[in-house]
Amino acid sequence: MSEIVIDMKDIIKKYYIGQPNELQILNGMNLQIFEGEFVSIVGESGSGKSTLMNIIGLLDKQTSGEYSLDGLDVKKIKDKQLSSIRNQKIGFVFQTFNLIPRTSAIKNVELPMLYAGIKRIDRNTRAKELLKMVGMSERMNHKSNELSGGQKQRVAIARAMANNPSIILADEPTGALDSKTGHMVMDIFHQLHEEQGKTIVLITHSQELAKETQRIVTISDGNIISDTGGVN
Amino acid sequence: MGFLENLRLSLSGILSNKMRSFLTMLGIIIGISAVITITTIGNSVSSTLSNTMNKLGGTNYIYLFLEAKYPEDDEAWETWEYPEITSDDTIKEETIDALAEYLGDDYKGVLLSEYGGSGITTNTKNLENYANVEVQGLNDGFCQYLSSAVTLLKGRWITDRDVREKRNVAIVSDTFVKNYFGDESINPIGQNIEVDMNGNMLNFVIVGVYEYSNAYFGKPDTSIPEKDRYTTLWTSVSYANSINPDSETQVEGYTELQINANDGVDMTTFQANVDLFFEDYYADNQNWHTYSYNTSSEMETINMALSIVTLAITIIAGISLIVGGVGVMNIMLVSITERTKEIGIRKALGAKKGSIKGQFITEAIMLCLIGGIIGILSGIINSIVIAQVAKYLLINYYPDEMSLISLTVEPNVLAIIISVIFSMLTGVFFGYYPANKASKMNPIDALRYE
Repeated sequence: MSEIVIDMKDIIKKYYIGQPNELQILNGMNLQIFEGEFVSIVGESGSGKSTLMNIIGLLDKQTSGEYSLDGLDVKKIKDKQLSSIRNQKIGFVFQTFNLIPRTSAIKNVELPMLYAGIKRIDRNTRAKELLKMVGMSERMNHKSNELSGGQKQRVAIARAMANNPSIILADEPTGALDSKTGHMVMDIFHQLHEEQGKTIVLITHSQELAKETQRIVTISDGNIISDTGGVN
Repeated sequence: MGFLENLRLSLSGILSNKMRSFLTMLGIIIGISAVITITTIGNSVSSTLSNTMNKLGGTNYIYLFLEAKYPEDDEAWETWEYPEITSDDTIKEETIDALAEYLGDDYKGVLLSEYGGSGITTNTKNLENYANVEVQGLNDGFCQYLSSAVTLLKGRWITDRDVREKRNVAIVSDTFVKNYFGDESINPIGQNIEVDMNGNMLNFVIVGVYEYSNAYFGKPDTSIPEKDRYTTLWTSVSYANSINPDSETQVEGYTELQINANDGVDMTTFQANVDLFFEDYYADNQNWHTYSYNTSSEMETINMALSIVTLAITIIAGISLIVGGVGVMNIMLVSITERTKEIGIRKALGAKKGSIKGQFITEAIMLCLIGGIIGILSGIINSIVIAQVAKYLLINYYPDEMSLISLTVEPNVLAIIISVIFSMLTGVFFGYYPANKASKMNPIDALRYE
């Protein structure tokens, strides 16, 4: 099998540490995800799946445990470097799209490339290609608030792909969409997985969506209760 | 990420929320506009005043006249009588020559004038035509001074030679020509006229014609018909002196004069030197000494008062700039709270602390700078409008002094430079805190913010 991209050992995440309402969300989780896998993480609301995704995506830090991304121990990485790893290696797709408001689709797609220091002309060319890939060429100059949910999510996927990251983290990407547009979005993910070999981690509470993926990791109360993929 | 990218990012941030941006800038706009308006008007008023002074002969003149020496104690006052002036007390040509030598390079010339009396002159070819005149003697220095206030239509001014040779030359008004010749097309230059001054018939040769100016002579009395109006006839000061009815008392020389300094001479020192010279000259005189004053010291006083007022109002206007700056900071803070989620998204997409900080500081600076520029422009427009209104009102109230009113609008360059720098500093200063706050946000906290 191919290389391990995400390697988590005994990950614990607590909130409100030292306060009476201290809360433990992840109870020592072990998870390994390999390059090119399409994994879904399934669980009820409050099971800890979003927290897990945030830690995977370097948006949040674990309270204890070891997490290596592409062989790099995230504990030892400085803030500045974390930013460039998010920028270069990870593409986020959120349930609520999270496009920059009052900004055109193409400018949204260009943003990660702007932070990567790519020239304006190159950014523009690449953003156009990506929007074409998700079928949004005609609306690239529309402001984000002028787009429908499905269109927003397609722009968001194009943006996630901007710096050609190896991992795509999608947190309930179809949660705010109707089933038809939801399928359209899922098709794009399948396409990215099959044609470009991206590692995709899909977070969802829908068993139906999860069944479309290669491997299903089920979480409950901060523990992995089942994993259809073999760690071995 | 380069400076240009930051600039573009912040500009699109400003433009994507025009109303908020405008409200943020408003404080800065009003503050800068007030400062520019006030300093420009202050500048314009003082330059208008000095223009007016210059039109009336400039500020590099010392006015000097004889003054009786008053007794020093009360006892002497009882018996004191105003002294009679004699030829020994007056200022002579030799005195002026000595003064010129004493003052050296600073000295430009003196302005002498002497009243010659009034009279009537009748045209011998057509007895129905006559003109009333006031005879005033001048020297060449005085003519030089006059030439900036009165327009010579024909001929020439009085020369040094006219004075030395006591020539009976005459420079008459255009009104005189109309009354005396009855026909304005006649060339009066070279014509002889005879003026009856209380039965004393005096001959003059016309060498020049000037345009009667209300601004210099004052508005003529309209109750007197134009043909009976007295206008000034200028002749050489030496000739006027010899025909002066007072000269029966045989007082020679001058009792008052204006001393003209060369351009760029410090008038305070110049006046002190003049005073020193005459102090010495009149040291032995029991009854008389001289008193001098000059308009430049008056100008200085006026300018000082003006600049104090301008400064005081500028400080008050400056306070509004600080208020404007605090306004910018408040809106930036609000805007950052409002845009917390956006900051989270940007961080998730790989924005570094520096990029976020740079974006928000640049945005604050751009806001303040744009506000500053709008403020400067509106300040200049304000000043022009106010100057035009003031000009209109002044011309309405003083139509005769129209030629003296020159309300030049001079924007205070220093104030503009300071305003631009200040508005940029306001941006940096009041933008730093919110920008820093934004950059330090934990990406997930920012993303989750609702």
